[in-house]
Amino acid sequence: MRELCGTAVDAALAAGAEYADARAILRRTQDIATKNGEVESIADGESEGIGVRVLVRGAWGFACDRRLSNSGAKEAAARAAEFAQASASRTPRPVVLAPARAEQGEYRTPFQRDPIDVPLEEKIELLLRADASLRHADVTITQAAARASREQRAFRSSEGADVFQEFVECGAGLEVLATTDGAVQVRSYPSAHGGSSAQAGWEYVEGLALDEHGPRVAEEAAALLRADPCPQKVTTVVIDSEQMQLQVHESVGHPTELDRIYGTEAAYAGTSFLKPEDLGSLRYGSELMNITADSTTPLGLGTFGYDDEGVPARREPIVSAGILEGFLDSRETASLLGGEGGGGSMRADGWSRMPLVRMTNLHLEPGEGTLDDLIADVDDGILLGTNKSWSIDDKRLNFQFGTQVAWEITKGKRGRLLRDATYMGVTPEFWGSLDALAGKEEWTMGGLTNCGKGQPGQSAHVSHGAPPARFRQVRVGIRS
Amino acid sequence: MSDSSRALELAERACRATEGDEADALVQAQRSGFARFADSVVHQPTLIVDESVTVRVAREGRVGCASTNRTDDEGLAEAARRAAAIADRAPTDPGFPGLQPPIEAPAVDGFDEETSTEGPSDQAERAWSAIEATGDLGLYGYYTSGVTELGVASTTGLSVSQTMTDATVLALAASESCSGYAEATSWKAGEIDPARVAHEAAEKAARTTGAHDLEPGTYRAVLEPYAFAELLWYFAYSSLGALALLEGRSFLSGRVGEKLFHPAFSLYDDGGDPRGLPKAFDFEGVPKQRVAIVESGVTNDVVWDRRTAAQAGRESTGHALAPPAQSFGPVPFNLSVPGGTAGVDELAELVGDGIYVTRLHYVNLVDPREGLITGMTRDGTFRIEGGRVTEPLANLRFTTSFPALAASLLGLGRDVTLVNGSDFYGDRYPFGSLVPAVATEAFTVVGTGSGPGL
Repeated sequence: MRELCGTAVDAALAAGAEYADARAILRRTQDIATKNGEVESIADGESEGIGVRVLVRGAWGFACDRRLSNSGAKEAAARAAEFAQASASRTPRPVVLAPARAEQGEYRTPFQRDPIDVPLEEKIELLLRADASLRHADVTITQAAARASREQRAFRSSEGADVFQEFVECGAGLEVLATTDGAVQVRSYPSAHGGSSAQAGWEYVEGLALDEHGPRVAEEAAALLRADPCPQKVTTVVIDSEQMQLQVHESVGHPTELDRIYGTEAAYAGTSFLKPEDLGSLRYGSELMNITADSTTPLGLGTFGYDDEGVPARREPIVSAGILEGFLDSRETASLLGGEGGGGSMRADGWSRMPLVRMTNLHLEPGEGTLDDLIADVDDGILLGTNKSWSIDDKRLNFQFGTQVAWEITKGKRGRLLRDATYMGVTPEFWGSLDALAGKEEWTMGGLTNCGKGQPGQSAHVSHGAPPARFRQVRVGIRS
Repeated sequence: MSDSSRALELAERACRATEGDEADALVQAQRSGFARFADSVVHQPTLIVDESVTVRVAREGRVGCASTNRTDDEGLAEAARRAAAIADRAPTDPGFPGLQPPIEAPAVDGFDEETSTEGPSDQAERAWSAIEATGDLGLYGYYTSGVTELGVASTTGLSVSQTMTDATVLALAASESCSGYAEATSWKAGEIDPARVAHEAAEKAARTTGAHDLEPGTYRAVLEPYAFAELLWYFAYSSLGALALLEGRSFLSGRVGEKLFHPAFSLYDDGGDPRGLPKAFDFEGVPKQRVAIVESGVTNDVVWDRRTAAQAGRESTGHALAPPAQSFGPVPFNLSVPGGTAGVDELAELVGDGIYVTRLHYVNLVDPREGLITGMTRDGTFRIEGGRVTEPLANLRFTTSFPALAASLLGLGRDVTLVNGSDFYGDRYPFGSLVPAVATEAFTVVGTGSGPGL
């Protein structure tokens, strides 16, 4: 694979490129789902190919080919150069890449059991046992699912970077639907939208202990059918760590992507309320707010040795004590920002897509105490848990989230269950109202595989860690 | 890849590779170019060439599925082996309806020779024609065109294929303080004028400077086709498929046959409509039927695949997804809402006082059973006063019921627009909705977001 990347880079240079890089990828996947006690689907996939990115007179071109062969590599390189040539004469601002050392190295996910190689019968048995644990009189649909992937990725650039990486991921989750008299409620574990994944071996899925959580998940879904709706009011909210992970993703991760700030995503994913000059001065939230981007986090889906420009992994602050201190960037956007070095957040969804600025692992650092401590200091409020719906505006300011479950908080105690909870806010005001974070014992990390961006669309795998958090003066219970 | 014989030949080779099993094979192939631009520069140009094969093997009610994009004999044989190995280890699938029997796919439009021959230079040139028509504003978006092939074959004699072309230009004209949006889609690239689309976006943008806030409330509104199509799509994929209906998750569950919408509102799914992006068959090889989902406000039916149809004692309408996404249930990809009699100005007159919405952003379902949807407006939101579109408004957070919106229509536009529905994730599968602009009494705004512009 590395040799093919070299072939592609050489072909691109021969076709007129002043810079070229190539990624060759071989990916195996296996997804299994059960529903109502039966195996619903088993999908086993493999995909391979090479993607070549070039700069011709400062204009980008990208092309790919599914064939991992010399002819595939050369033809992709030639097409990428042709596409770049078509725009080169009309590009008013040639692309400049920030300097980067030509890295040479390897990275492999540490794991105990390769999730692709775990016998299918064992996976099915685990999921059917988990599915069975969800049985309940009010539950009409029970589902369990697991995913596994193994990806080999080689990268070479015309600057001499030469990297090989092997990523192993897996994940699993439960979901139930409870229905009665036209009402529908959903509960999930360990998180919504297909469960949680990690860069790890099958031991991660075993550690989720799906069947132990099933009865609670089913019971809560059934109880939600008879719960009162979340009231409409402005109040104090305590948000569990799982929902906080998505809150960080949407209202901190995306707005700090430097390509959005420079407008590259304006037509689709949107831009950002942040400006380059806000770095080091903009108050993002209260002094309790500390956000870290860390592509070295063990188990993180955004963990690697090198990003898709060959820049090594690192850990860096994004928000420190409430002040914006960093952006997620590429070599191109780092160059626009000025200063030395940069990049490290470029990732592509497979061999057929151009790398984009993406989140790696973005974490909200913990405070002190427990979830109960956060609740104890609330006279009247709402505890919100597990995402159900999400939406945020194109500058990442106005957001609305729905959660699967909520509880009333009265005089420092968790009270009655509430259904159909939603909350909304405006990003810096919301983070400014952060007044407590639970400690590291309650800090959890979840991995999601459906972060969408780019045209054509790309799905990124990212992880977020967060503790439960408390916010004052938040609007809840939004309905039409 | 100029016709579908390649996809069909590949699907048939994959079936032969299964060595005596009962099996079918789905081939998806694409050759596409994406000239994506930002700030009036082609910035992320992407050319994709790929073909993948999904082999499904059935052994005594046990089913295994495997996919590959290695399409030489060794790659196909390996995929067939993996599918068979899964079938051997899987429990019996009691819901498996068996393989689709041989059937002839209907002839549909949807392939244009000129579009199929567009190369990177053509795609870049059409992107630049949009950029150069924008004037002083920056242009953001893309021009894309491509060829998509589908082929489905089975060891029981099924053999269908289709080659489709599609082209879309999407244009956001913007500065720091204003933004406007337009798009155009067709299976004939020659019917798209990128410069005209960019001009429409720029004209819209120029009217959005100095936007005002709006108090939350339920407003009368005109929704342009772009906005209406997106709301309809979210409602459709969550409520108009048979699996959601049978499982009680759909707004239509227990309500088929009831008059739930305005009498002027009808909704069809019609893969044969040449105005849309025609489809001859679904991912199981079942011919597309024209489904009357709503007629004159009365709910009539949803769309079905072979599994849900077998469960309900019906026939598939040709709306299966590709495995393994088939477990999501059937989805309508060719939605069509007949237009009415009003021009856009007349729709504003019907509203009187209200709001005008061009486009939506980050739409999501809040409560599928109620058809409750949230999202933001963007790139062209205005106030309507005295029947006229007047001052620009900030982007609005809406949380609104699609059924309530469609039950309280004030009018439908006479012109029907094909609105692209694909964000081009994964394998290319062009689809879109044919919809008019609409005027409604019930569009619920719950907050105000950022202003227009970058």
